[in-house]
Amino acid sequence: MQSGEFFGFLGPNGAGKTTTINAIVGLARTNGGTIRIFGHDNRTQWREARRLIGLSPQEYNFDRYLSIRDVLIFAAGYYGLRGKAVIERADMLLERFGLTGHAHLEYTKLSGGQKRRLSLARALIHSPKLLILDEPTAGVDVELRIELWQWLRALNEDGLTIFLTTHYLEEAEELCKRIAIIRGGRIVTEKPTKELIADGASLQDVFLELVRSG
Amino acid sequence: MNYVALWTLVKREVIRSLKIINQVIWPPIITTLLYVFVFGLALGRAIPSVQGVTYAQFLIPGLIMLQVIDASYGECSSSLFQGRFMNSIQELLIAPMSAFEVVAGYILGSLARSLLIAGLITSLGIVLVHIAPRDWPLFLGVIVLVSVLFSALGLIFGLLAEKFDQIAILTTFVITPLTFVGGVFTSAEMLPPVLRRLQLFNPIFYTIDAFRRSYTGHSYLSPAFSIAMIVLLAAIALAVILRLTAIGYKLRT
Repeated sequence: MQSGEFFGFLGPNGAGKTTTINAIVGLARTNGGTIRIFGHDNRTQWREARRLIGLSPQEYNFDRYLSIRDVLIFAAGYYGLRGKAVIERADMLLERFGLTGHAHLEYTKLSGGQKRRLSLARALIHSPKLLILDEPTAGVDVELRIELWQWLRALNEDGLTIFLTTHYLEEAEELCKRIAIIRGGRIVTEKPTKELIADGASLQDVFLELVRSG
Repeated sequence: MNYVALWTLVKREVIRSLKIINQVIWPPIITTLLYVFVFGLALGRAIPSVQGVTYAQFLIPGLIMLQVIDASYGECSSSLFQGRFMNSIQELLIAPMSAFEVVAGYILGSLARSLLIAGLITSLGIVLVHIAPRDWPLFLGVIVLVSVLFSALGLIFGLLAEKFDQIAILTTFVITPLTFVGGVFTSAEMLPPVLRRLQLFNPIFYTIDAFRRSYTGHSYLSPAFSIAMIVLLAAIALAVILRLTAIGYKLRT
């Protein structure tokens, strides 16, 4: 992946998308190969590498004992950040993602869409350079999906590198500048989105052809 | 060292304890009150003085140890297990936190809960049966060491457990029985010689014996020896949990 890129990582269920993400963020142990995050090896320079990554996981994993505002402030704390700047950034993100009115509630009181926005806000609290999104629009309604797309585009335009996995191919086509398709743990193609669908075929046609072949 | 992360985790553990205060703080206080009234003030009148104090006064240090052990083990085992079960532990695992920082955060959070409970029971002892610690460094030192030991054991079992009820196995079948026969209600001198020798195989006996000395000035064993035993056991438990956390056992796929 190039810095500043909006990268799509597609594949059928069980292809290895979440495993790849887990290996990048340190949730999975690797037995070979190297993963570098902006030049930092995620095994030998794990502190530096992890500081640069923000993860919005597929499943919600918020702390049930914290308020929504504290979810953000404590997440920043785990990244070594504290003080007025963190509180201001947490409030800014709550405002940006329309959660200010819910700041003192527990996350269990939020709707699915609000939880998804909170997940995104938490991933951004420590100002990462790489945002990893594991199916960020799964289970959200069309209106929120389009809203999320706008936020993600704006974040990418501000220079944030984004790694996206999704089952919605139109989402990948809409957002990603480059796409890799994975099957059985191996990348079967990796091209700029425009090249992938250059001959008039839809991304769905290309995807189905690649995952069914071989 | 990521001190901010460590402090954040400690704060999180304290918030957790306060959010479930009716489950984790008040029950040990009420249980202690019942022990003091029933065993100490009611039945205890029939027992002559033990180690130079009344039986009710004799009970207080043992009851503090009982609750410190229970709170330390309970806090760490259930918090870690819940974190694994709800996946919220992933927040710590993807953050720039070392295994040492994660383990230390949980243990210090558990220590805070233990100190709060110990402080409340100590106050009850002063008010109800008029006994206070004589040796504060020994009092605090033993609480800290015992809390570290049982917090580390709690983390180990919170990591090994596959179901919530499995973390209670150690409490039900090992910790509670050993605590009850480890000197909470009796001094070693009150036991027949055979049981007295058997007590030396009970690690909890060392914790209560050393701790009671901070109150009565008397102990069956040398406090230095008892403390050395607690330090050794705590070091072993810490080494195990640090290793398991560092390799990501049941934490990372």
